[in-house]
Amino acid sequence: MSLSAKNITQLQVGENAIIGEFSNGFVACKLMAMGLLPGSAILLVRKSPFGGAYYIRAKNHYVALRSYEAENVLLNLVIP
Amino acid sequence: MTTFKKIALLGNPNSGKSSLFNQLTGLRQKVGNFPGVTVERKSGFFKLDKAHEIEIIDLPGTYSLYPTSMDERIAVHALLDPNNQDHPDAIIYIADVTNLERHLLLLTQIADLDFPLIVALNMNDIAEQQNLQCDEKKLSEELGIDIVKMNGRTGSGVPEIKEKILQLLNSNENKKHAHFYELLPDEKKVAAEIAKLIPVKNEYHALLLAHQHKRLNYLNADRTRAIQEIVLENKFNPVNNQLDEIMQRYNKFIPVLSKVLSKSFANAKTLTDKIDVIVTHKVFGPLIFFALMFLIFQAIFSWSIIPMDWIDLEFATLATFLQNTLPSNLFTKLLTEGLIPGISGILIFVPQITILFLLITLLEEVGYMSRAVYMFDNIMQRFGMNGRSIVSLISGGACAVPAIMSTRTISNWKERLITIMVTPLISCSARIPVFAILIGFIVPRYKIGYFNSQGLVFMALYIIGIVAALTSAFVFKKILKSEEYSFLMLELPEYRKPHWKNVFYTLYEKVSAFVFGAGKVILIVSLILWFLASFGPPKKMKEAENAAAIESSLLHSDKETTEMNIASKKLEYSFAGYTGRLIEPVIKPLGFDWKIGIALITSFAAREVFVGTISTLYSIGKHADNLTIKQKLQMEKNEEGKPVFTMAVALSLVLFYLFAMQCMSTLATVYRETRSWKWPAIQFIYMTGTAYIVSLIAYQVFK
Repeated sequence: MSLSAKNITQLQVGENAIIGEFSNGFVACKLMAMGLLPGSAILLVRKSPFGGAYYIRAKNHYVALRSYEAENVLLNLVIP
Repeated sequence: MTTFKKIALLGNPNSGKSSLFNQLTGLRQKVGNFPGVTVERKSGFFKLDKAHEIEIIDLPGTYSLYPTSMDERIAVHALLDPNNQDHPDAIIYIADVTNLERHLLLLTQIADLDFPLIVALNMNDIAEQQNLQCDEKKLSEELGIDIVKMNGRTGSGVPEIKEKILQLLNSNENKKHAHFYELLPDEKKVAAEIAKLIPVKNEYHALLLAHQHKRLNYLNADRTRAIQEIVLENKFNPVNNQLDEIMQRYNKFIPVLSKVLSKSFANAKTLTDKIDVIVTHKVFGPLIFFALMFLIFQAIFSWSIIPMDWIDLEFATLATFLQNTLPSNLFTKLLTEGLIPGISGILIFVPQITILFLLITLLEEVGYMSRAVYMFDNIMQRFGMNGRSIVSLISGGACAVPAIMSTRTISNWKERLITIMVTPLISCSARIPVFAILIGFIVPRYKIGYFNSQGLVFMALYIIGIVAALTSAFVFKKILKSEEYSFLMLELPEYRKPHWKNVFYTLYEKVSAFVFGAGKVILIVSLILWFLASFGPPKKMKEAENAAAIESSLLHSDKETTEMNIASKKLEYSFAGYTGRLIEPVIKPLGFDWKIGIALITSFAAREVFVGTISTLYSIGKHADNLTIKQKLQMEKNEEGKPVFTMAVALSLVLFYLFAMQCMSTLATVYRETRSWKWPAIQFIYMTGTAYIVSLIAYQVFK
């Protein structure tokens, strides 16, 4: 995948996407253990009130990520 | 012959582990710490049958065998180190049926470590509501592991789990599970080389050592170095290998799951979605949070008054009763003036701790807490803390003792430590009586618009405390080093009804941890303070007593005044009195005389003791109200005939109480939570140091 691939911080609230790959090994290991895999469908539900955190939903669970973590989740976009 | 077996309870966070633990053990729980660290170790005992005595160890929840925080590391170390005191003979693995996909990852990892194993499949409320079915027989066949369906809330399935454990322990043949993960060629090579040097169970165990050798403290330095060499020689890439392993595992069991689960979840809006629209809303979210915190704060304040007064009164009555019935000797004095007030000083905190933890545990149980962490993480991070710190800081407004205990939910050690260090700067309820008396000296009472002048000063003091806490946090953030990753990556569990049994056990455990942990230190220190205030050089004490008696008889004082006068004079010549005089040169620049010095020392037992000590010193009597105390103090003159309590002295004193670490209970709690005297010592020095400088400036400017 190209370097210009979109990451979670660039999603609009309410936008769906598929996880393509991770650009940081630590983030990848932790998120995959938490059930977010390449190929998982995710939805950016909202951003935190004071910024800096992202609330995402994957199938049947919810995960909060910091900006740095969200930047390292590269996405394949889904055509709505 | 009874054999003693250790069984570990393992699972992901939010899998229902604590519910099962409580179902299995009830109140036969033991709470301690894992050796050398502050992570809580919970275990419970039960007799399985005549031949088997079981200790169930509740290992911290983790997502995989690759730990990312201290508590996860504890769980993994217990599994990898065969000589670890918590190394289990068998494992009960808890998996939640609604998140089975993710929960199978760790299950297949521990299966590959060849532990005797059963799976407790938690059928939670959400699965029931959505009518999610799982063919556990088929799943069990596919995985080659025994599975028991259970419900943590009702306790159904628990007897079957016990039965299965018994079967597991009785079967002599060690049932080997099929290994899920096939090591890659380079991993096999590394594992084989490690296995030659270090006793391991199998090649997957060796592989985990290759990954984690730097952090496994059970390996000695030689072994760590040997593994390090093997790893470097083979250009072993831990991150890539870890990712490959996780992927291979998922690829193996995801097809199995599609065969056994009745349906996968639809992306329908759940109740959680609906609640979070409001609860984590940009505007309402923080508002709701502060409303909840305000409610908790109010509850700690108002609900605790009655039980606290009751404890206070009952112990005072008991002390008076014993004083009047027992022969008047040293032992009676120790009992009635040292021991009983000391125990009362511990128990007086119990109502506040109970209320705080009841409400916080409830918020945690329903799933709210992780939302608060998500909302405030960013702000708190700027001060070196974690979203969870905000809860502790706010609780600190009631009492620092339970607030510091509540930092246990912060997994990053540095963030937790900073929170512990700054929480006591938030003005707690014990400062209120001190402030209330002294504020009268600083500003007269008048109205500014709708506000009362003294109320505004009160509020200003609270704000100064908050600013001081955040500033100190910022400084600690710059000073402290941490090797641990700081990350959020936090699961926001679905909202659910609180499980009252869990709430009860958590409360029981926290309160008893305080009474028997920090309580010991509080008791010892209060006995020392009692000794200092009641004894002095015997000759001097006798002289002081006689002088006071003569003075009173010359003035024809009544019995009560005479007693007060004697008590006051005796305190002056006690060791505490001498210490007060000893520290006078140090506190003189702050505007304090030696009498205030005595009060500073005795109020170390609890800040509000200041008022009582001042009353004794100035012979004000036990039952005076604030106004009387204030009037008496205003009349108090020093040797030069000038008033002692001027505005500058009162201001200096208020600021001193605002910043200084004047509470042994807090220090004892910090000691318990950090397992070292280093941190309470640093805390005492930095807070009291700040207090000294601020008071010095205030007094010198305003005198």
